[in-house]
Amino acid sequence: MGSGVPRGQWERRSPSLYIAGRAPQALFPAAESKMKLKEIDRTAMQAWSPALQHPIYLATGTSAQQLDATFSTNASLEIFELDLSDPSLDMKSCATFSSSHRYHKLIWGPHSMTTGESVSGVLIAGGENGNIILYDPAKIIAGDTEVIIAQKDKHTGPVRALDVNIFQTNLVASGANESEIYIWDLNNFATPMTPGVKTQPLEDISCIAWNRQVQHILASASPSGRATVWDLRKNEPIIKVSDHNNRMHCSGLAWHPDIATQMVLASEDDRLPVIQMWDLRFASSPLRVLESHTRGILAIAWSMADPELLLSCGKDAKILCSNPNTGEVLYELPTNTQWCFDIQWCPRNPAVLSAASFDGRISVYSIMGGSTDSLRQKQVDQLSSSFGNLDPFGTGQPLPPLQLPQQTASQSVILPLKKPPKWIRRPVGASFSFGGKLVTFENTKAQQQPGIDQQQQQRHHVYVSQVVTEKEFLARSNQLQEAVRSEGFVSYCQKKIDMAQADFEKNVWSFLKVNFEEDSRVKYLELLGYRKEDLRKKITSALNKESLADGELGEAPTESDASVLNEAGEGQATEEQLLGESLKDHNRESEDSVSAKKTFNISVSGDVDGLITQALLTGNFESAVDLCLHDNRMADAIILAIAGGQELLSRTQEKYFAKMQSKITRLITAVVTKNWKEIVQSCDLQNWREALAAVLTYARPEEFAALCDLLGNRLESEGDSLLQTQACLCYICAGNVEKLVACWTKAQDGNNPLSLQDLIEKVVILRKAVQLTQAVDPNAVGALLAEKMSQYANLLAAQGSIAAALTFLPANTNQPNIVLLRDRLCRAQGELPVGQEALKTLYERQPMPKARAGSVAGQMQGPQPPAQQYYQQGDNPPPPGFIMPGAVNPNMPPQQATSSSYNMYSQAGARPAYPQTYQATQQYPFGTGGPAAYQPQQPITAPASASYPNPAPNPTPPYLPSAPSHAMPSPLYPGQPQPSPTSLNPASSFPLPPSGASFQHGRPGPPAPSVAYALPTGPTGPQNGWNDPPALNRAAKKKKVPDNFMPPVPITSPIMNPLADPQAQMQQPPAPAPPVGAPSFQPPHLPAGQPVLQSPYQPAPQPLGPCIVPPAVSKTSTEGAPGAPIGNAIQHVQALPTEKITKKPIPEEHLILKTTFEALIQRCLLSASDPQTKRKLDDANKRLEFLYDKLREQTLSPTIVSGLHSIVKSIETRNYMEGLNIHTHIVSTSNFSETSAFMPVLKVVLTQANKLGV
Amino acid sequence: MVSVINTVDTSHEDMIHDAQMDYYGTRLATCSSDRSVKIFDVRNGGQILIADLRGHEGPVWQVAWAHPMYGNILASCSYDRKVIIWKEENGTWEKTYEYTGHDSSVNSVCWAPHDYGLILACGSSDGAISLLSYTGDGQWEVKKISNAHTIGCNAVSWAPAVVPGSLIEQPSGQKPNYIKRFASGGCDNLVKIWKEEDGQWKEEQKLEAHSDWVRDVAWAPSIGLPTSTIASCSQDGRVFIWTCDDASGNSWSPKLLHKFTDVVWHVSWSITANILAVSGGDNKVTLWKESVDGLWACISDVNKGQGGVSAVTEGQQNEQ
Repeated sequence: MGSGVPRGQWERRSPSLYIAGRAPQALFPAAESKMKLKEIDRTAMQAWSPALQHPIYLATGTSAQQLDATFSTNASLEIFELDLSDPSLDMKSCATFSSSHRYHKLIWGPHSMTTGESVSGVLIAGGENGNIILYDPAKIIAGDTEVIIAQKDKHTGPVRALDVNIFQTNLVASGANESEIYIWDLNNFATPMTPGVKTQPLEDISCIAWNRQVQHILASASPSGRATVWDLRKNEPIIKVSDHNNRMHCSGLAWHPDIATQMVLASEDDRLPVIQMWDLRFASSPLRVLESHTRGILAIAWSMADPELLLSCGKDAKILCSNPNTGEVLYELPTNTQWCFDIQWCPRNPAVLSAASFDGRISVYSIMGGSTDSLRQKQVDQLSSSFGNLDPFGTGQPLPPLQLPQQTASQSVILPLKKPPKWIRRPVGASFSFGGKLVTFENTKAQQQPGIDQQQQQRHHVYVSQVVTEKEFLARSNQLQEAVRSEGFVSYCQKKIDMAQADFEKNVWSFLKVNFEEDSRVKYLELLGYRKEDLRKKITSALNKESLADGELGEAPTESDASVLNEAGEGQATEEQLLGESLKDHNRESEDSVSAKKTFNISVSGDVDGLITQALLTGNFESAVDLCLHDNRMADAIILAIAGGQELLSRTQEKYFAKMQSKITRLITAVVTKNWKEIVQSCDLQNWREALAAVLTYARPEEFAALCDLLGNRLESEGDSLLQTQACLCYICAGNVEKLVACWTKAQDGNNPLSLQDLIEKVVILRKAVQLTQAVDPNAVGALLAEKMSQYANLLAAQGSIAAALTFLPANTNQPNIVLLRDRLCRAQGELPVGQEALKTLYERQPMPKARAGSVAGQMQGPQPPAQQYYQQGDNPPPPGFIMPGAVNPNMPPQQATSSSYNMYSQAGARPAYPQTYQATQQYPFGTGGPAAYQPQQPITAPASASYPNPAPNPTPPYLPSAPSHAMPSPLYPGQPQPSPTSLNPASSFPLPPSGASFQHGRPGPPAPSVAYALPTGPTGPQNGWNDPPALNRAAKKKKVPDNFMPPVPITSPIMNPLADPQAQMQQPPAPAPPVGAPSFQPPHLPAGQPVLQSPYQPAPQPLGPCIVPPAVSKTSTEGAPGAPIGNAIQHVQALPTEKITKKPIPEEHLILKTTFEALIQRCLLSASDPQTKRKLDDANKRLEFLYDKLREQTLSPTIVSGLHSIVKSIETRNYMEGLNIHTHIVSTSNFSETSAFMPVLKVVLTQANKLGV
Repeated sequence: MVSVINTVDTSHEDMIHDAQMDYYGTRLATCSSDRSVKIFDVRNGGQILIADLRGHEGPVWQVAWAHPMYGNILASCSYDRKVIIWKEENGTWEKTYEYTGHDSSVNSVCWAPHDYGLILACGSSDGAISLLSYTGDGQWEVKKISNAHTIGCNAVSWAPAVVPGSLIEQPSGQKPNYIKRFASGGCDNLVKIWKEEDGQWKEEQKLEAHSDWVRDVAWAPSIGLPTSTIASCSQDGRVFIWTCDDASGNSWSPKLLHKFTDVVWHVSWSITANILAVSGGDNKVTLWKESVDGLWACISDVNKGQGGVSAVTEGQQNEQ
């Protein structure tokens, strides 16, 4: 590695000079410390660790040529670490090995080096006695005693020249007296080779050096001034270099680091203190002669890092750094007056060099100069402290301030090097700039070749490149922009739904899509899992079971029934179906029932029934209700309360709720009292879907968003991680962009462009929806959204899509980061803004708002888009200020923004380009728009009660008792007909949300089910605003409603006081009928396995008042009492309740009915072979519960009860035919509605028993 | 992926050492060993020479644009030990300030985030770092960190202005309590982090991983995350990504991005801080991106000569 830096033979010529001593001035080496980093007080040969070695070490071996002041002949090998982070001048000594040899030459070869932090390589020393010693530096540092790897004393004299081949680091060349040159293979150290025949005459070899470019070329030089170049392949000298001037005494030899044919020779002779630059191609005379030294040169070193830096030191006490290619002295190191006999570049740190001087010191310098004031100061401080401060000698006289030699000051004016070293000349660079641009430049290596003047030809180019790394991100962003541009939101959402990988993603997009569709609330419900289709199927199947059961009787739903189902909405479907059933039953039995209806038994006995009857007969509703309540006949109580007026009803409701303790009481309470906040706040979060569904169904538009928000908040804060993400859905329903952003951000890796894209897609679409449906300021951007938007715009910009980035920035916002980004984007587009003033003001606003800022901000928020105000369009010809930006005329007329500045945020209405259709849709979904449709109006007003034929007369309304048990689901899961846009009111009639704090998402979809509830009898009704009196004729206006459409009536209809103020009613959602006599309710989620559970969400039939019997149905049931057919329908549905309900015991005298019937069914079941029959029987068994219930409630007329007992008797005698006859008699003589729930079933059982002969 | 959209013939007469776009990406400043600084308008793929700034007496190493809120200001540093601040006044670029406080080559200049005011950090081969703060009326206040890096500071890079703690919710109208920090790299193989405390610059951290000169440091722009990130590159061919997650800024951990076969001269973050451009390692420019699993991968080679781009295959990467 180290080029052979030869020692001259000064010893013989002027030995007295080499008694090293410390000059007095060395105590304060300030003059030379300008660039000095470290120093070691040794008189020694030095070897830097190889370039691979980190950290850097310096090995020193006691010089064989000098004696120190003690004339000691001890020798040592030491290793020091160069620690530049330690500011002190001390070199950290790592190891000292006491050697029996003193050294003429020391090199550190990289042979067998391992990379890593440990010390490695081989220290090769040339000794006094012709010996070459290999040391293991690792072992020296480890403190081992056996540190010598190998040792040979083949040479006949002192080994002054050593060099390692840089291509094959196992090859070491050595030179000694008598023209001896050996090539050693460190892998096979025993026998060295020779490069050829010894040169004649025999002379000392003072220097030896391997070529830096060609590995088999070696050069040697001797004090005689001759240099020989050897070719090891030919094993002979190929050229001899000599200027035939016998004054040339070679003390140094070095090959050019880059050019294979060039080398320098240094002369030690004071009469010819030169460095000769030779090119072997012109070997007759030196190419160049450097004559900068005034006395003989003792050592040279050519930088491997920069071929233009050659160090030389001489007997003129100078250390010079020259460019051997030009001869120019680049720098003179400030030194003391001592001569340096050895100088070395540090192979690893190109700025570091070391010089060994005769005053017994090795100094480490930086060629880069630099102030080491602090070092000097440190030294002075050390000195002061060891002498005592200020008055170190106790003289009573403080020392004067130390005056550092003047030389230092003058040095600081001088450049360290006249030319910068190569290693600090950055040849290549690449820097990113705004807009995803990458600026790169290069400087080819050829330029570094000296002697070739090609710099003029070289073109110095800078390249500006566009870097695009997020292709998918850009593609998706383009799709989004396209969707916004073309208004194709629905198809965009659909595409997203189709592509969605995860269910949640699919859900979110489905929810978003709904925003652009009609009946969003209904569709939200579907998305929550309450699909009309599914529900219908469930109901159909539930009903089919009945049909099967009824099959015996020859009754089956007809096709037309099914088609009615299909056309009608969910709730209606149920109703239709049930009614259809009831009609059939009714038809079948109507004949028989005629006579039954003729008798009306009013019991005025002393029991509760009697008392109630009496109270009713006297018109004392209040007492009757009290009696019912006391007797736990809730349904009776409520029914009576309806007739008794609003006040009584309210009180009754209150009492009822107070009494009820079941799980769903709260839900019912909420439905009745409209207190959805309660539900949302306290529901089990696992039921968030149900809660959201309820809100979607019932909530008023003005509270809808808040409720959705509330639910979302709960999900976010209380729920598990899965639920937290679901909060997004709530926020979408609420139209709360800001919350959506927050929630989404929490769950996603915000750093990923695609996940940001995911978010922005949703946000943009949702914002569009909100803009369509609400009169909110489309530019109102919350801080978080602004943050995300600017992040997104930044990302787009970073991909070079600056125009796109601009479109995504909210336009008229004063969010500082957005305003600033907009400014930057506009300018990046090449648009020249007005002077700096505006921007400056804007920036000042941020940290320290100033009064002036307000006006600017105001401008930015002005009606015109900022782009128009501030920026010129990019495609405009450059204004005069283009080249001289300072000259831009601030009053330049604003340019109209072109399509490129089309903005995502401009309000739909404000853009004429937008299809007019938006205007229409804008109205409809808006909360204001759909009031009529979604108002849970109570349609059953006066007409309902008026037409209620006789609330009082029948003390035992047959259709009420079981209603509560299944009434619950109906308000929750109503599938409903779509509200028609035609029924919507202009948006203007809707009051704006009170505050802009959150985006009040005007619920496009009013709870459609309420339409059903709102469908009363009246064929005419005003088309009302949401706050108008309830319209009664919505159904009539609906396009899709079939002629025979039978609007279901909300369960609350008969309950809510029909006479109540319509306005007040409007505020209340429909409530299910409070059950009477059924103290416990089915929880919304029933355990599976029971029939009830098969259709837990089945829209329950409501106990309809007669008034609401639809015409179509009425026709077929004209003969019946108004309530009868419907009651029948209800009884079908009563099959749903389960035994779980806590029931009163069946009176003992009637228990026999139950046991007999059940036993009979069991017998039938045992005998029955085909599954269909079994199923029928099972079903019958369950449906007979209706009978048992009535027995419990004691609501059956004595005639019927006694008839049933007769049947039991006939069963006991297995005379089933007799039983059937009695059955027929009962049916024909009793009120149809009273018996329809169980008598047909009983008939089935009897028929089967007869058939099976059990 | 990377496509040349503009080739600017700078007409520099010697090596170019730096090329920087202004804040908007519309003007290009270049500097060269020919001792000149040039400014080009490069909008719309064009190149119009706006200024040819003469004043340095040695190779000019770096240029740095100040934030436009302070006007059009450019700083340059040179081997001549000088830092010059140029300003455009009435369409003409002129020297507005010259700083000669360094004893050796000034290798790097970097403007502080605009939120702090007009502050320039300068790193020099004399081992010192100077901080020049504009105090108004053409006056500059100088603070000097002596012996910041023994035998030389090669690079300085400011931390983005982030107020510890809150990112979004800033009390408006109140001057945020910024903690000023910058990173430096030097010939002592160290990356150092400096922090201002009570108006004094103190060495906060010493990051040791490189085994040779640190050629460049680049503090990643803030993208709103609490993590601080610094890239450093070295003579040893290594590029390290340093990250610090804690607000106190005390625990930095290095991750080796790559070990190149040659000196790495320069690192530059994209504005969105997700791509690192690495210059060097055999005079190439490569772009690197962190994958989701935290590994850095070369996403592209930039062949500057042709301006073309070749995708980096697995094999090529493994070779490196």
